[in-house]
Amino acid sequence: MSAQVVVCCGSGGVGKTTVSAALALKWALAGKRVAVLTIDPARRLADSLDIGALDNQPRRVPLEQLDPACTGRLDAMMLDAKDTFDAMVRRLARSPENAQRILDHRYYRFASSRLGGSHEYMAMERLFTLWQEGDYDLIVLDTPPTRHALDFLRAPQRMAGLMDQGVLRWLVMPATKGGWRALELGSEVVAKALKRVLGQGTVGEIADFFEVFRDLWEGFRERSEDVDGLLRSDRTRFFLVSTPSPTAREDARYFVEVLAERQLPFAGFLVNRTVAPPVHPSVPDAGLPLDLDLAPERAEAVRAALQRVHALRRGLAEDHAASIAVLTEGAPASAACWTVPEQPTDLHDLAALAGLSPHLPEAPEG
Amino acid sequence: MSDLAPILDRRVVFVTGKGGVGKTTVCAALGLWAARAGLRTIVTETSGARHLPGLFGKRSAGYAPVELAPGLSTLSITPEEAIEEYIVQQVKVRKIYELVFRNRVMGPFMDAVPGLHDAVQLGKVFDLQRETTAFGRRVWDLVIVDAPATGHGLTLLGAARSMMELTRRGPLHENNRIVDEVLSDPALTALLLVSLPEEMPVNETLELVARLGPHEARIQACVLNQLLPGLLDHPEDLALVRRSLPDSAPAALHEALDLAEDWQARVERQERCRETLQAGLPVPVLPFPHRLQAPLGPEDLDALSRLLEQALSGEAA
Repeated sequence: MSAQVVVCCGSGGVGKTTVSAALALKWALAGKRVAVLTIDPARRLADSLDIGALDNQPRRVPLEQLDPACTGRLDAMMLDAKDTFDAMVRRLARSPENAQRILDHRYYRFASSRLGGSHEYMAMERLFTLWQEGDYDLIVLDTPPTRHALDFLRAPQRMAGLMDQGVLRWLVMPATKGGWRALELGSEVVAKALKRVLGQGTVGEIADFFEVFRDLWEGFRERSEDVDGLLRSDRTRFFLVSTPSPTAREDARYFVEVLAERQLPFAGFLVNRTVAPPVHPSVPDAGLPLDLDLAPERAEAVRAALQRVHALRRGLAEDHAASIAVLTEGAPASAACWTVPEQPTDLHDLAALAGLSPHLPEAPEG
Repeated sequence: MSDLAPILDRRVVFVTGKGGVGKTTVCAALGLWAARAGLRTIVTETSGARHLPGLFGKRSAGYAPVELAPGLSTLSITPEEAIEEYIVQQVKVRKIYELVFRNRVMGPFMDAVPGLHDAVQLGKVFDLQRETTAFGRRVWDLVIVDAPATGHGLTLLGAARSMMELTRRGPLHENNRIVDEVLSDPALTALLLVSLPEEMPVNETLELVARLGPHEARIQACVLNQLLPGLLDHPEDLALVRRSLPDSAPAALHEALDLAEDWQARVERQERCRETLQAGLPVPVLPFPHRLQAPLGPEDLDALSRLLEQALSGEAA
């Protein structure tokens, strides 16, 4: 049976990377073979997973520290977009020489490592190779922050669009020998406009790049369709990580709409950093019932502080509950909601990360 | 305008930091201060974000400026609209844009020019700071950029330079050279960092500064947002109470004491984070108070803007 894919989306700063890792850890401890792929270069995550470094290759997390009898396993890795892109070129090119021509191309080097955009697509590519390798029951994917996650969802289609036959005809045919001549003959207006905006040299270079890249087109296109298919299939589910803060909440609501629009399977909300109300509804208002060696005004200050901290906590918990109600209203009925309590400190080790388990969903079956 | 504080005498201020640290709030506070100082100010959000108008109880008009307060406006830049505007500027005729660039062939092609999205967004920022009225007066005295979360924020800052290196010559190269000349000039632009008093955001801020290289000279300050107030002038009294509180005391009192101790421990951790950050930064760290009660109102924004003013106008000539 092929692996199930769990995608964690959400805006920046909500603790998506930590929640993704905690999910993966919980499911691995429950006996699953799990991989977690993170996008953020989060060194601390490597520390808290007790592995030396996070990179493009799976690193085994020492679960035996927590449970010597554990039958599951957890691999963690961090996306290296350039490495992933290079590997894809080598795999899809018809010959090693062709692969090298592409890898050496100036445009390729720009697109693969220096500029935004390719990251999103490469996350998908890495996810897909992991999925194909078939060595896992579950793959958990931590994604770039919200607005970029949009690009990320569009990436396969965008690539497919680029590989459209129409684009081939327009861009590659003229790129042969005479530069942009065919296009000039075909449509002077188009050529002029393009040259004015991008410059003749740039247009020529881009066309040249497409020519070199042509070798990969068919493979690229098939791949894009496969990735898109996987994301829409019943093997995949999307979780939305948020916090009760109004900004994160509004981003999350927006994201729910996007998932619906793209008909991607939405499994539920994971609301991180939620504050629970105090167990006791109030603090006795009388003086402190003790005989303190403390000046009366300082004892009074402590008493007032206890009242205040209790009231603040209660107020915060009420705000959070109200915010979560807004978040979940209007979401599809299939969407569940888990609240993850605010942690007093950053999570520093495996045991601390595993401490989140009771607040997280069970591993999807099937 | 030599009496302006060092950050307000620039053309453009980039506000950057990790996601969720409060960049938009800081942009609003800085904008309010600038407007109060008599500057016609605009805050731009990028990549289609539209968080700012809501803080002022206004609705976003997207790519068109919306006034938030006297002297303060905002707009939201999307790469798509910035590309459209750029192309129309270049080809002069909107009809050509619609004919050539709005079809399904050229759309993906423009998408595929690496880094074009960031470069045109930066180009829009450049246009805003340069824009003049028919009488030659600047439309905006100060442009504040609510930059994307850290990693991507750096990409945006370097977008014009990257585009120059990619194109090497031609109109794209030339236009980006002009943008880069202005937006890399420490006399014309400044960076304002935003961070949180927690371990990970502080580390990421220090890493960001290390990666800034030559841009480091442009950092004016770092706002450290969400600092909790101390509960007591004498926090050590909590320990005293803990020692003498009998088990028979009401459970609610025990709970409140737990909460107070947690709070105090957090205050102390935050203080250590502040020290680490300040030790690693060549610029002042400005504490912003925690919003204990969630929604931020106009008075809060005003108070924050005065905090910024106080902290940053100290060295004004």
